[in-house]
Amino acid sequence: MNADIVVDAKYKSCPGPMIALAEAVGKARPGQVVKLLATDQGAPSDVKEWASGTGHEFLAAEKSGEVYEIYVRVTG
Amino acid sequence: MPKLALIVASEKIDKLFPAVTLGTTAAVSGWDVEMFFTFWGLLSLKKGFQPSGVSLDYKEYEPRFSEAFASGSIPDWRTVLVQGVSTGKIRIYACSASLGMFGMKQEDLESYVNDIVGAATFLSKAKDSNVSLFIS
Repeated sequence: MNADIVVDAKYKSCPGPMIALAEAVGKARPGQVVKLLATDQGAPSDVKEWASGTGHEFLAAEKSGEVYEIYVRVTG
Repeated sequence: MPKLALIVASEKIDKLFPAVTLGTTAAVSGWDVEMFFTFWGLLSLKKGFQPSGVSLDYKEYEPRFSEAFASGSIPDWRTVLVQGVSTGKIRIYACSASLGMFGMKQEDLESYVNDIVGAATFLSKAKDSNVSLFIS
């Protein structure tokens, strides 16, 4: 999946990945896709819950080796 | 949006870190957060405070924590808190009675402290919280 912005939060424990993602999404434009790279096992469900609470669109979470690639589309 | 109320009653890193993690995660999720620092928790609001370590009960795990912190996988607790404060969603209250107990003054506290209040004021701010936790 293509992403407009990539946030690398690998080897950061909670709450590092969520803070980094929230910051990137806050700066992004509506419609852009942000990809979060994380190794924290809680990240996929955290991002899903965060997106549902903030109104952004959770697209997918894929695992490549030990790294989760989590995609969110920014809403307006 | 939901509201989180946290009462932080310890300045040890194993208590502070989960408290600021929950507070900041809630804030970046759009929640309102009320944090009341009381008893030893108040010490962590003193300008330049650095935790002396983990609670005595968990001293055996301290090296593991220190390693994780040194490697950068665990962020600094104050950095996490300040990131949450920067959202404008967190209000931080210093307990007035604890301030008196420690002989501290408003100017001893970090600038991100919103107010010095008593229990009744905090309860009023926190009464419509969806999640409320006492961390000690």
